[in-house]
Amino acid sequence: MSPVFPMLTVLSMFYYICLRRRARTATRGEMINSRRAIESNSRALPINVEVVQYAKEVLDFSSHYGSENSMSYTMWNLAGIPNVYPSSGDFTQTAVFRTYGTWWDQCPSAQLPFKRTPPNFYSQDYVELAFEEPVYPTAVHVLETYHPGAVIRILASSANPYSQNTPAEVRWEILWSEAPTKVNSPQARQFTPCIKQIDFPTNLIRLEVNSSLQDYYTELDAVVLHGVKERPVLSLKTSMIDMNDLDEDDDEEKNGCEMDSLNKQFSVTALREWTTNGYFDKLPYELIQLILSHLTVPDLCRLAQTCKLLYQHCCDPLQYIHLSLQPYWARINDTSLEYLLSRCTLVQWLNLSWTGNRGAISVSGFSRFLKVCGTELVRLELACGHFLNETCLEVIAEMCPNLQELNLSSCDKLPPQAFNHIAKMCSLKRLVLYRTKVEQTALLSILNFCSELQHLSLGSCVMIEDYDLIASMMGAKCKKLRTLDLWRCKNITENGIAELASGCQLLEELDLGWCPTLQSSTGCFTSLARKLPNLQKLFLTANRSVCDTDIEELAANCSHLRQLDILGTRMVSPASLRKLLESCKDLSLLDVSFCSQIDNRVVLELNASFPNVFIKKSFTQ
Amino acid sequence: MFSVLSYGRLVARAVLGGLSQTDSRDYSLVTASCGFGKDFRKGILKKGMCYGDDACFVARHRSADVLGVADGVGGWRDYGVDPSQFSGTLMRTCERLVKEGRFVPSNPVGILTTSYCELLQNKVPLLGSSTACIVVLDRTSHRLHTANLGDSGFLVVRGGEVVHRSDEQQHYFNTPFQLSIAPPEAEGVVLSDSPDAADSTTFDVQLGDIILTATDGLFDNMPDYMILQELKKLKNSNYESIQQTARSIAEQAHELAYDPTYMSPFAQFACDNGLNVRGGKPDDITVLLSIVAEYTD
Repeated sequence: MSPVFPMLTVLSMFYYICLRRRARTATRGEMINSRRAIESNSRALPINVEVVQYAKEVLDFSSHYGSENSMSYTMWNLAGIPNVYPSSGDFTQTAVFRTYGTWWDQCPSAQLPFKRTPPNFYSQDYVELAFEEPVYPTAVHVLETYHPGAVIRILASSANPYSQNTPAEVRWEILWSEAPTKVNSPQARQFTPCIKQIDFPTNLIRLEVNSSLQDYYTELDAVVLHGVKERPVLSLKTSMIDMNDLDEDDDEEKNGCEMDSLNKQFSVTALREWTTNGYFDKLPYELIQLILSHLTVPDLCRLAQTCKLLYQHCCDPLQYIHLSLQPYWARINDTSLEYLLSRCTLVQWLNLSWTGNRGAISVSGFSRFLKVCGTELVRLELACGHFLNETCLEVIAEMCPNLQELNLSSCDKLPPQAFNHIAKMCSLKRLVLYRTKVEQTALLSILNFCSELQHLSLGSCVMIEDYDLIASMMGAKCKKLRTLDLWRCKNITENGIAELASGCQLLEELDLGWCPTLQSSTGCFTSLARKLPNLQKLFLTANRSVCDTDIEELAANCSHLRQLDILGTRMVSPASLRKLLESCKDLSLLDVSFCSQIDNRVVLELNASFPNVFIKKSFTQ
Repeated sequence: MFSVLSYGRLVARAVLGGLSQTDSRDYSLVTASCGFGKDFRKGILKKGMCYGDDACFVARHRSADVLGVADGVGGWRDYGVDPSQFSGTLMRTCERLVKEGRFVPSNPVGILTTSYCELLQNKVPLLGSSTACIVVLDRTSHRLHTANLGDSGFLVVRGGEVVHRSDEQQHYFNTPFQLSIAPPEAEGVVLSDSPDAADSTTFDVQLGDIILTATDGLFDNMPDYMILQELKKLKNSNYESIQQTARSIAEQAHELAYDPTYMSPFAQFACDNGLNVRGGKPDDITVLLSIVAEYTD
């Protein structure tokens, strides 16, 4: 026997003993540490202090009633402490959205809705609020001061708008969501829905709103966020969540995963070959396509994973002719667009409104998508598309030769030079530029070349200096114009109106709300009434000069009138309104708020004689 | 040797003393208001800061203290318009603008212009007219920026003397410059001055300066020396003593206004213009009395 063996034994014993020692000290050390931990715990138990905050800033919103740079009826009033609550009424210090009820769906400029909208998506407008400190929310109070009940969804984001570094992934979690319900009283209330607990701190809250059941504009005063700084221990409350809620949660979570999991499916293995597809082989291709056409996009993606035949059906571009991604705005990103590329080559209607913000969609991703899928595009919705820049519009102009409808509502970050490219879209029939920074030269160019225009919205386009010039160009070039939105066009005068009325004989809808430079004494409204007999909707909101003569002229000439807004004039009497109501049998909306000669008694009398007309009279107290 | 040291010390002290002249403290205005409506009818409870057809406001912001008065033109009453609605809404809008920080301290005319534009954004068809006087104290630069449209105004009193005052703006006798919103049929007829027509001044203030902002109800009834007499009684910058002094000034003006034999500044001016009148001028009186003090949160 060599001396190596006993040496090895001794060495290994030695080593073993050392290891054990180390282990023992470790355990001893751990025990010591845990004792220290217990001591420290008993000394200072962290109390979860509730933080109550009002919104610090309004970051983004889809529309509002008030004027840009004003503090009356604008969304910026939602930040800070309440100014009106608990009073009820129509006050300037509140946040008001642009529309209410179903009136905008009933006028000539109404657009056909996208089919295949998921049944739980009702949102029409949104507002995003930033708070000072990120907290785990425990409650959200919405102080509504007029016609409450429009808030239908509250979401929280993991992104901190005040942090310097951009987050890798922005998560949106739905705190609460419900179908629109009617609240009978227009009185103020504090709305506190039961929100779910989330696992990340947030200081960015988004409210989504649906006013279709409201009798008048809904007005919000403030939003209060209650939360805790430390992550709360999941309480028993979670076990009381409705089973339906869980289902919906699963749905929401899967929506985003669908697009991703699809790719994974591909990358792993090819789907196993099935020799038969059961009864599905007996159904004609077109029939399966028809059945599938009723599924929402996420369901389509889920169905695609079931078998190869259905996968083929679900990826068929015929399923993606009308595609609305607005309900999934929180999860649509460049990757999603990439997946949809191959399927959307025949897309005609595309809704990307509200998507892509905070870096979710890049200019290159969007451009690539349009380069592949833009040839058949007829209708493109890009409302609140803050990711858009000049290049994007250039791509649209280049890649979408058949484009007829373009919606750039509230794209207020688009630089003015971007709008020059719209003039190249000569087949445009509908153009929405509400709250954009389009400038005069670009607009004149658009009007010059887009002679097919039937629907044009220039509401709150503040960068245009001379609306008379715009109106005369319209009168000269846009003969097919049927609806025109000139809401808050600050300097249009009777000259512009005259040229407009002479040139655009087909006008059925004209919104001249809050245009202060129009004076009835010039006869502009009279000439409007006489030259535009097809008028169905006329808004003369807050034009203080509207008088009895104008109403009588409308009664005599515009018998098809359906909607009329004469808010805030002192010079219209009940007698002329009666004439109007007798003559215009189709009138369904008449807004006489703040008309001093039309008090509540008159409204009641008119309602009794003309029960089919909704006569709106707003109040401040 | 000694002289060198002592000389050196003197020089050092002088230099250091000169350096410490720049006051880095933030200033603020401690303000009290008082007033009387012309028809002092009990039971008519107007919202605070409204005296008859006059209105006023006091607002604080991180960067500045702002106050203002507005004198509603009473002639509108003959046409069925409540004159206090315009002046009250104007002042409340100015207050809101300041609180939300939508203003530049060195541009008080901007506050008037923006506020006037906001009045036009109201759904309610406001009618009426008023004068306006806005006083802004910039906390860090220690400058008083003012804008005055019409015959309201302010005085800055230092060491018992008036060191700065506003100028009256009149078109003709008893017709001051005024902001107005007229009914459309009377657009050309009703006097309406643009907010840009306001007089604007800038003045450096010191701690302890007294600023008196008031409508013409005060200045037409109380000459300078009487006002200064009352201000002498102001001992410290406590809110209570300022409130007391403001009250005594307003009360005195109110009494003098109804004195038929007293030769008020208004009567004096009328006489100078050929009208033989005597006595006070019954009018709404609004007094805002402020002292420049150190800023405490």
